[in-house]
Amino acid sequence: MHTIVCVKQVPDPEIPPAKFKIDPVAKKVIPPPGVPPVISVYDERAVEAACRLKDKHKGKITVISLGTEKATDVVRHAISMGADDGYVLQDEAFENLDSFGTAYVLGKAIQKIGGYDLILCGRQAADWGAGQVGSILGEILGLPVITLACDIQAEDKKLKVKRILKDGFEVIEAPMPALVTVSSEIGLPRLPAGMALMLARRKQIPIWKAKDIGADLSELDRSKAHTEITEIFIPTREMKCEMISGATPAEMAANLVSKLATMI
Amino acid sequence: MAFREVFWNISYGYLVYVLALIALAIWLFSFYRRYQLWRQGRPDERFREIGERIGVFIQTVIVDIFVHRKFLRQPFSGIMHLTIFWGFIILLLASAVDAISYYSGYHLQGAPYLWFSLISDLGGFLILAGILMAAFRRYLWKPKSLNSVLDDGILLASMTAIIITGYMIEGLRQAATEIRPHPDWAIWSPGGWVFAKLFIDLSEGALRSWHKFLWWFHSVLTIGIILYSGLAFSKLQHVIVSPLNIFFRSLGPLAAPSPIDIEKAEIMGVGEIKDFTWKQLLDLDACTNCGRCEDVCPAWATNKPLSPRKLVQDLKGHMLKLSSNSVHSPEIRPSLIGEGPTEAEIWACTTCAACQEACPVYVEHILKIIDLRRHLVLAQNKMPESAQLMLRNMQMRGHPWAGAQSLRLRGDWTTNLDLKILAEGDHINTLLWVGCTGALVDRNVEVTVSLTRVLKAAGVDFAVLGEGETCCGDPARRAGYEFQFQLMAEQNIEIFKSHHIQEIITSCPHCYNIIKNEYPKYGGQFKVIHYSQLLWDLLKQEKLNLLNEIHSTLTYHDPCYLGRYNGLYSESREILKMIPKVTLKEMKRSKERSFCCGGGGGHMWIEEQPGTQKISQKRIEEVMKIEVDTVVTSCPYCLQMFEESIENKDSLKAKDLVEMVELSLKKSS
Repeated sequence: MHTIVCVKQVPDPEIPPAKFKIDPVAKKVIPPPGVPPVISVYDERAVEAACRLKDKHKGKITVISLGTEKATDVVRHAISMGADDGYVLQDEAFENLDSFGTAYVLGKAIQKIGGYDLILCGRQAADWGAGQVGSILGEILGLPVITLACDIQAEDKKLKVKRILKDGFEVIEAPMPALVTVSSEIGLPRLPAGMALMLARRKQIPIWKAKDIGADLSELDRSKAHTEITEIFIPTREMKCEMISGATPAEMAANLVSKLATMI
Repeated sequence: MAFREVFWNISYGYLVYVLALIALAIWLFSFYRRYQLWRQGRPDERFREIGERIGVFIQTVIVDIFVHRKFLRQPFSGIMHLTIFWGFIILLLASAVDAISYYSGYHLQGAPYLWFSLISDLGGFLILAGILMAAFRRYLWKPKSLNSVLDDGILLASMTAIIITGYMIEGLRQAATEIRPHPDWAIWSPGGWVFAKLFIDLSEGALRSWHKFLWWFHSVLTIGIILYSGLAFSKLQHVIVSPLNIFFRSLGPLAAPSPIDIEKAEIMGVGEIKDFTWKQLLDLDACTNCGRCEDVCPAWATNKPLSPRKLVQDLKGHMLKLSSNSVHSPEIRPSLIGEGPTEAEIWACTTCAACQEACPVYVEHILKIIDLRRHLVLAQNKMPESAQLMLRNMQMRGHPWAGAQSLRLRGDWTTNLDLKILAEGDHINTLLWVGCTGALVDRNVEVTVSLTRVLKAAGVDFAVLGEGETCCGDPARRAGYEFQFQLMAEQNIEIFKSHHIQEIITSCPHCYNIIKNEYPKYGGQFKVIHYSQLLWDLLKQEKLNLLNEIHSTLTYHDPCYLGRYNGLYSESREILKMIPKVTLKEMKRSKERSFCCGGGGGHMWIEEQPGTQKISQKRIEEVMKIEVDTVVTSCPYCLQMFEESIENKDSLKAKDLVEMVELSLKKSS
């Protein structure tokens, strides 16, 4: 079984919001210096899901990441968890892509790798949180797409995926190859241990440019026209505190209930 | 001239030697079989520096065996063991003197003989007194940490029988030969004299035949006990195994884990009994189940499942079970973790080393626990969720703090302090290593900032790494995640070397211990000093002067990694005593017997067993007992733990040592 996992490097979500800066002209977020970027949390769970399938069925995991050259760090992290190979897709032409452009580049790389049974993505990226790339990528590759997976089982060429719903879950079957986006309910990712850590440190991570994967530059330009950022700002959070009055605790409770009732 | 005939009334006395030799042979064989159990363990470097080892051994034998330093910390059981120990030494020497005089033909006579008799009898008295105390303690008093098995009863009963029959034999001989012609001699053997008085009316024939019978009974029983102790591997074996264990005790830094060779390692930690080293297996047999470790263990004291005594005994039980023939096939072999110590026990340890400090035979508990953790983390990916979060943070963020607790970034604390912050290519002699907690947690940042102000006031030339500092690796290493530690150690050593750093001042005792004692194995040799040492030096050189009065009655809490791990007890106390108007009170448990705050061994982040008392709370209760207004410490973990556990901050404050120093510094205006 060959699984390809798409991972993204994002600014550490643990950074307190007040530490970010905004460049209002370029409409860009500037994370504070000195804090290393990390693997997007949902993507790490996708790697975990792939590793669990590999634990059970053997096979191979390939990881790709679209980003800067530093994205080799997150690819290495995935390799230390149990992936076999990894590639970073980096090119000037890949900068400032939206979900469509990203899916297009990832699709090109996946077609180049070929021979896959399953594509995994995180349900959304931990920075922009659009949650689009997985579905668009499935469309480009012509694969069945199942989103928000919390459990993935594979039985001869067939996938059985438990999918999170607002009030429970549903189980969906699909033929392989297929694309699944993974939700955090799948469980904590494993700690890389032992040899894997060292092997990952030494592993060569090839960097693929646009020409390596045969990406059509005009296609990239066109995809950039899909979305436009009009404004970017750090939301201000307001807290209001109102003391509920009443002569007795029972009266206070009653007042609270009526107050809450108006707010729903 | 007073004397007595050795082997009086006994024919074929030499048979005793024959029997003893047979017993000795069987004993040696059973000891050899035990040795084979230890040998299944992995190699351990305990034969190097044999000269130093012999020196340390002699010193330890004098202090901890002859003088009973560690035993006597528990006065009752200490005196109990001391009397039995010295009683047997006296009797052994006396028997040797008898044998030598018999075969050399040189007899003790006159006054020396009488004194010899008295001292030999005294040996028996000491043993009997000790046995009485032991029996009272074991069967009436029953302290919780003392577990009684059949072997304990057998040994106490047989030792009593041996001593009493010894006196009876002496008395029978005296009744027959001494009490009438030389009553003044007989009184020098008071134990025998009592029985001589009792038997005085028996006929000589009766005296002789009783004497003969009891003499053989006494001798065969003594030899029988040696035989029994060998065959059953009784607790009595500790007279051999414990000194052996002390001989092979660790000479290096306390509980420093051994590196795993990542390139070659075939096993990760200990998942099976044979993954332990032979010394770790010898430890299991050296343990006499005395319970001193359990009495001092903070995990056990707060109702957590871990008892160091039980852990060692369970490992021993597992080793013996595997060695019995019934469980040879690997399928039915019970697993070490679970059948021996459970995961919950393994994770409850704070590595405070109180157990090792208490153990009279130098059992090394902590490294066993770390080895078991290594197996769980590295081979099985099994650990409490809080431990996993901590380790993931160390891996991804370079420090164990995360989430809402860390609203700061690594370098934030340096803002507006006008410090030398090392940039690439900068060279400096002295680095102030702040540590993750001191850089990221608000309360501890106050301490760090205070420390920089005091150092500047004293004119110390130092620099900091600011946002370039990462974790020292200690929490990962103590939690068994060895490779993360190794990566961090190598990376930090590289950074130190790139800045040509010679001297490192640390704020946290955990950083201090690991950089000083454990980095050298990775090529990092630096002069490491804890700030309490530095402050004490600066005060002595009068570069700092403590003039402001602080009206406070306070106590000092020893951080485990400064005290037990590195023997630094006096500096902090001396500094506090220099502050005018400060009264320093000691807690019941202080210095080498200090009680952990609960934060070591990764437990600053690993959740304490739900439903149990917090260790820090227990310590604060001890602080409250001695009625002080402030508890001072010199470790960020301890400070954090206390801040969390002090309920009424008006009546008790937790302070760091350097904060007290800064308060007392003379203001320049």
